[in-house]
Amino acid sequence: MHTDTSALENGTTLEADLCIVGAGAAGISMALEWIDSPLKVLLLEGGGFEFEPAMQDLYRGAIVGQPYFPLQAARLHYFGGTTGHWAGFCSTYDAIDFETRAWVPHSGWPIRREELDPFYARAHHLLDLGPYEYDAADWSRRDPELVPLPLDERVVWTKMWQFSPPTRFGTKYREAIVSARNVHLYTHANVCEVEANESLTAVQGLRVRTLGGKEIRVRARSYVLACCSIQNARLLLASNRQASAGLGNAHDVVGRYFMEHIEMPSGELVLAQPETAKMEMYAFEWGRTKARGELALGAQVQREHRLLNGTASLEPGAPDDQVKSTFQFLTPQVLDAMRKWDQAGRKGPPPIPQPLMDSAAAAAPPRFFHLMTRQEQAPNPDSRVTLSAEKDALGMPRAKLDWRMTELDKRSIRTFYQLLGRELGRSGTGRVQIREWLLDDDRTWPSSISGGWHHMGTTRMHTDPRQGVVDANCRVHGLGNLYVAGSSVYPTAGAANPTLTLVALSLRLSDHLKTTLA
Amino acid sequence: MTIDRRQFLQLTTAGALVGLTSSACANDEAEDTRAVAEPALLGMLGADRVRELGVRYRQMVPAENREAALRAAITNGGQRGLRVPWTSRPSLARQVRDDFADGRTVLVNGWVLSATEARQCALFSLHHA
Repeated sequence: MHTDTSALENGTTLEADLCIVGAGAAGISMALEWIDSPLKVLLLEGGGFEFEPAMQDLYRGAIVGQPYFPLQAARLHYFGGTTGHWAGFCSTYDAIDFETRAWVPHSGWPIRREELDPFYARAHHLLDLGPYEYDAADWSRRDPELVPLPLDERVVWTKMWQFSPPTRFGTKYREAIVSARNVHLYTHANVCEVEANESLTAVQGLRVRTLGGKEIRVRARSYVLACCSIQNARLLLASNRQASAGLGNAHDVVGRYFMEHIEMPSGELVLAQPETAKMEMYAFEWGRTKARGELALGAQVQREHRLLNGTASLEPGAPDDQVKSTFQFLTPQVLDAMRKWDQAGRKGPPPIPQPLMDSAAAAAPPRFFHLMTRQEQAPNPDSRVTLSAEKDALGMPRAKLDWRMTELDKRSIRTFYQLLGRELGRSGTGRVQIREWLLDDDRTWPSSISGGWHHMGTTRMHTDPRQGVVDANCRVHGLGNLYVAGSSVYPTAGAANPTLTLVALSLRLSDHLKTTLA
Repeated sequence: MTIDRRQFLQLTTAGALVGLTSSACANDEAEDTRAVAEPALLGMLGADRVRELGVRYRQMVPAENREAALRAAITNGGQRGLRVPWTSRPSLARQVRDDFADGRTVLVNGWVLSATEARQCALFSLHHA
């Protein structure tokens, strides 16, 4: 079922067993799981079914740390969420990403990698990915053209990626949600406050506002915030009438540990024998490639050298080329053009600049490749989301982002490339050049510093309430019926893009709620 | 002195081996002289870039800013591993691979180079100034 909240009478109260706030990848993945269950589920979406500038403006916020694109460009505020312009890059997190690493402060998940396997497999279906298989050797068996470079896998290995079409959740799952008997979608329902009981031990309701000035209440047995990292933190912080620091924030953790993936051109590779080298494994053609490899550092080498996890993708091109970071390449304008192209039925070529389009289509075997880093940033409590003094059109304080790096972030990239250079030289594959910005001191970052449009952290998972906002089941510490879905619960960022893992975690949370609400 | 057939065969075989080894060594030396100043990097990066790398290396390591010093350093670099005494020294390609494997690398203009090939670039830059 679907109702536009604008059509409800002011003061209406909605009731359900479960209320999911946010209809992006996390919220829709969960809602789909409840279709035809005996329980009543509300799915609240702040926007409508289409892009609306006024709704998008609710995401506007201040940037006070490292340069970042406008927040209202980074996330989409309508049914389907940011899957409306995502690129579809998927890979699993590695076992080491879940470990407590002595050299990475605040690292360690309260769950192990293996626990996610069944949920990764289910997430594959939702994201229209291929077989749940991320072993390079398996992909070589499926396609003999996909041959990994002959490297010592203990040092550098080929980490596989798969590519979603990309699945637009707002398009693909709209009918299933809207026609569901027991799942009720409310669009234009912006949650402005989470209200707790007097003892602050449980949530007793949500205050929802519309741009037309209506206010309604929502009551449910359990609530899930699935609004993305910045908005999840903003909502908890802004729910401060009963607890001045915000709900779930007794230990000042909400909003902290905001993380991105550092996505920067970091080096060059020249092949020793381009005529005989098989590089198809590493090629990418937008919209066509189903799977490819990136070069990743072995777990033991990460331990020995005390490094963060990261990968390098290969993009054909000469060393003298102007190479763009993700932020320089996928600008808000390009993302907007992608969204419009997609909504218009993908007529004509996609509005993507050339490099991503052509990497698999070179006439002659390329000798040179740009090496593009994708690395986790170390969890940093000072990298955070707080509330701005400015309020949005619904009277809610806007978010303020202070994105910060650490010396470990930069040292890890540089050392990764040194080790990559050694291994590619030892194996006779070729030589690596490290870009100049990496050779400066570890505190300095270029103005072109780039993330991947990935927001993580801010409501991190930890068994200790002093170190995390949610527990291993994604339940907010201290609040018996409030949960968080999405990449805001990540304690560390891993090397892979977050979407596959956040869908898997949402399915896991859904299973957990099925037992608690039964 | 008389020698039996068995001793004769042993001596002639040994003599032949000495002759072959001397000849091989002479050929190796001539080849080395050429190869040492022609790094495999030429095929990857071209003469201009290799020359730039060589010049930069000589700036970074003034003590090796002479042909003799560079040749000696390359030779010493090739003597690190276990060698059979009468064989010629390991090939430069092998020496370069060993450098990478053992972490004997240098950063020159951002390139991660084996110590041996960095010196080869330096020699190349001296020969093609």
